[in-house]
Amino acid sequence: MRFFANVPKRRKAMQFMTAAGIIILAAACSAEADMPETHIVEMHGLTFVPATVEAKVGDTVLWINTDVMPHTATAADGAWDSGMMEVDDEWSLLIEEAGEMNFICTYHPGMEGVITAE
Amino acid sequence: MIKQILVGVAALATATVSACASEVDDGGPSDMQIAHIAYTAGNIDIRYAHLALAISDNPDVREFAETMLRDHVAVNDAALALLAKLEAAPEDNETSQVLLSQALEKRNELKVLDGAAFDKAYAENELAYHQFVNKTVEEAFIPAADNQEFKELLGVALQTFKVHEGHAEMLVEKTK
Ligand SMILES: [Cu+2]
Repeated sequence: MRFFANVPKRRKAMQFMTAAGIIILAAACSAEADMPETHIVEMHGLTFVPATVEAKVGDTVLWINTDVMPHTATAADGAWDSGMMEVDDEWSLLIEEAGEMNFICTYHPGMEGVITAE
Repeated sequence: MIKQILVGVAALATATVSACASEVDDGGPSDMQIAHIAYTAGNIDIRYAHLALAISDNPDVREFAETMLRDHVAVNDAALALLAKLEAAPEDNETSQVLLSQALEKRNELKVLDGAAFDKAYAENELAYHQFVNKTVEEAFIPAADNQEFKELLGVALQTFKVHEGHAEMLVEKTK
């Protein structure tokens, strides 16, 4: 075990546990690799955070308004629209097809983001 | 009008320093005076928006006015919630009164107009008004605010009104 050569005993144990944990996590991750994910986009400070979402078909994008004023999450091409989202409101969209979708807030010019789905 | 009000704000700042030197150590108006002015300024824009919705048929103008209503009501509500939490009451002052009387004059000017003339005048006033409010909030109010939460709320308000200023610029172009 040269890898642990200069490490005190307690740290060895911790390193082992960390390594074991990483292996378990890795196993869990590969099992979940194809599970749909939820991507959270906050509306905050009159911006979408993050403004860029990379998703897969089957994933969900969840918008949460954590701002002081109402906003909307609306497809730039008009394909979908949350309608008015008051403070603390949430709205979600299931990604059904691959491609790039620009979204905006219809109230605030310049408040925009993009979903890239594959 | 803008110059007059800025002078008013500066005068208020000076008056405040001499009136309650023990409370104010930063040379600016007190937080509760700022709160009153900011709240009043928000209400003034809400009233302009109501006027626009009563007079204008232009979809761009109406959309803009709706956003002003939503946002200024929201920011003012947030201010009231913070004041309630701080158990503080806004303090009426000369600057608020000057703002109100100038706004009354402006509303009287606007309400005799209609059609494209109203739309243009409303858009130009919104741009000038937001420019003035933003300059005051950024250069006078935020530096003078003492309470940290209040300072942060003024920051949120400024961020919002700057987006409005940009939006108003677009509206001026559209209603030319
Ligand atoms: Cu918005």
